[in-house]
Amino acid sequence: MKKTIGLISANYTSNKFGALTAKRTPASLPFGGRYRMIDFPLSSMVNTGIRNVGIITPYNYRSLMDHVGEGKAWALNRKVGGMFILPGAIYGIRSEGSKFLLRDIITNRRYIDHDDADYVLFCGTNKVFNMDFSALIEQHERNAYPITVAYKKVEKGEKYEGLFFNLDDHQNVTGINYTAEGEANYFLDCFVIDREFLISFMNWFDRLDYMDIMEIVAGELGEIGVDAYEFTGYVGAVNSMADYLQVNFDTLKSSVRAELFETERKIYTKIQDEAPALYRPGSRVKNSLISSGCVIEGEVENCILSRSTHVKKGAKLENCIVAQHAVIGEGAVIRNVIFDKYVEVSAGVHLEGSPEHPLVLSKNEKL
Amino acid sequence: MQKKECIAMLLAGGQGSRLGVLTKSNAKPAVSFGGKYRIIDFSLSNCVNSGIDTVGVLIQYRPLVLNRYLGTGEAWDLDSSDGGVHVLPPYATETGGQWYAGTADAIYHNIDFIDSYNPEYVLILSGDHLYKMNYDLMLEEHKAKNADLTVSVIEVPWEEASRFGIMTEDEEGRIVKFSEKPKNPDSNLASMGIYIFSWPVLRKALLDDHMDPNSDKDFGKNIIPRLLSEGRNLFTYHFNGYWKDVGTIDSYYDAQFDLMDENSGINVYDNSMRIFSNSNIYPPHFIGENGVVSDSLLSNGCVVEGEVNHSILGSGVVIEEGCVIEDSIILPGVRIGRGSRIVRTIVNEDVTIKAESVIGEKDGEIAVIGAASEFAL
Repeated sequence: MKKTIGLISANYTSNKFGALTAKRTPASLPFGGRYRMIDFPLSSMVNTGIRNVGIITPYNYRSLMDHVGEGKAWALNRKVGGMFILPGAIYGIRSEGSKFLLRDIITNRRYIDHDDADYVLFCGTNKVFNMDFSALIEQHERNAYPITVAYKKVEKGEKYEGLFFNLDDHQNVTGINYTAEGEANYFLDCFVIDREFLISFMNWFDRLDYMDIMEIVAGELGEIGVDAYEFTGYVGAVNSMADYLQVNFDTLKSSVRAELFETERKIYTKIQDEAPALYRPGSRVKNSLISSGCVIEGEVENCILSRSTHVKKGAKLENCIVAQHAVIGEGAVIRNVIFDKYVEVSAGVHLEGSPEHPLVLSKNEKL
Repeated sequence: MQKKECIAMLLAGGQGSRLGVLTKSNAKPAVSFGGKYRIIDFSLSNCVNSGIDTVGVLIQYRPLVLNRYLGTGEAWDLDSSDGGVHVLPPYATETGGQWYAGTADAIYHNIDFIDSYNPEYVLILSGDHLYKMNYDLMLEEHKAKNADLTVSVIEVPWEEASRFGIMTEDEEGRIVKFSEKPKNPDSNLASMGIYIFSWPVLRKALLDDHMDPNSDKDFGKNIIPRLLSEGRNLFTYHFNGYWKDVGTIDSYYDAQFDLMDENSGINVYDNSMRIFSNSNIYPPHFIGENGVVSDSLLSNGCVVEGEVNHSILGSGVVIEEGCVIEDSIILPGVRIGRGSRIVRTIVNEDVTIKAESVIGEKDGEIAVIGAASEFAL
């Protein structure tokens, strides 16, 4: 495999996650009981053998930095290569929708100029997958186009948010669309680009730096050859609160867990050193993921509990996603609720959202 | 090297033969414990939580798992450019090589290592006890009393005193007598195997002891009696928290269930003295549609489709459908085949148990199952 450096773009936000992204970037949204969204592209890169990863941060990057630190959990605290924090270009302005803002790349172009890598692998942070990127990179090398994008065939394009590709018989991209109906080739916010080509690209389009790289590419498809790589594994696209709930619940399926977590390519995350989970006599748990440090005295069904959740006696939790350190008081009954971190629910409280419109409890909320 | 006030030397070379198959291919301090830990985690975490940032770990027996587990010491915040964890195996010199002949001999062979930090005090620990302790409080007392050696002691029931090394003290806490497993104990203060020595005193005692051809080169048998006979200042340090030796199958089993008992005195959920471990990355554990879990401790990565009652499951344990697991400790990486009934049993790491196995009895001896068992695949 030719030398590849990674670039994860986390300078993007969305208002479709409500309170969950009020103070954090989607990249650091808690996921699957112990992970953050960025763990998936980051671990996939490391497992592919990439030892040089830049992360373009948004302006509200505290939670992201708190999570990735100097990259220790991904063995990216290196003397040679390692993790590079690349501040996003625009202070205070949230980039909505756009994931690969050219200005972010140009601002941090030293990272790209001063490396001898052949390729740069770009990745967003709102797709949950465990991808071995080497197949993508090998195809890129074999077919020798300047850009190779990764996509997944989806049955109902209208249910997804993002970019879709028209492909010809040779898997070359002939069109890029913002919406799709029916079967579609859904962009995984992930592409490989020749580093030399990227440098030229930055020079050519330097005056269009307010645009997204993909937006520019869409207009130049005749000039730039773009190849497409099909990924057939599991992809959880997280673009809204409803997606967030759905993709989290996907991890309750053993087939999804097997693909995401039970391979040799582990998803790494910040280590917290909690004690094992404690089940007290009388606890009842069904079809749920439970993290370390939890204390379970009540009933839990179809839930994902992050570390140190305390479900007290007689409490009932159904279809909930709970971020770390929640306390659910005795006899409380809670259905279809998403908890942010450090939420406390008093004894006897009844709370109910609907599967389509889950109730969201903000960080530190006390009920 | 920057001078250190106190460094720790952790004796981790013993086989621990009383743990049977659990230590067949693994030194005792590296045996899995309490789901996600290994026994050595408790001593190492105590060091870090007491402000000791330099730990020499003396290894000898089957060090592979222990070495890999310790790594750079990063899991305990002991990956320091100035201190940290040092693994100290026996080594060869120009006159040949020798195994460590005893606990004191192991330290004797590492005098150079200790000298390189030029410490005032050396804390000697064994890596096979379950307890949380702030060694700094003991060090403060050692300094205040101007002691040459302070031995941490705990009161044990009189009827059990003859199983321990017993310290007899005067009213000032000065040790006047040490008796190893006395038939008729005159004190119930058991040595916890935790010593703080003033380094110059220990250094001299080690050199003198090395010259004695009749010595077993052991702290309890030789070094402490030697210092007593020299009239040195030996004091007790009274520890009144939870402490348990985990060197036998029974105590290893009981101590782990103490982690679940609110009234046992050991609390791993208390974050003020966190117990760190070098745990693998696993997703949260999953309880399936037919899983039933009660009164148990479960680690990350487990998948439970059967019934688990009053048991401890290590990281990545899989309990298939129709199983009943009771009063058992299942170490990391184990898979229990469907329809099995496991009672009062310890299953060693990474063993796969055949479907429909029936192991153990409610009131029987604790069964210990290793890879060579007839029940293992």
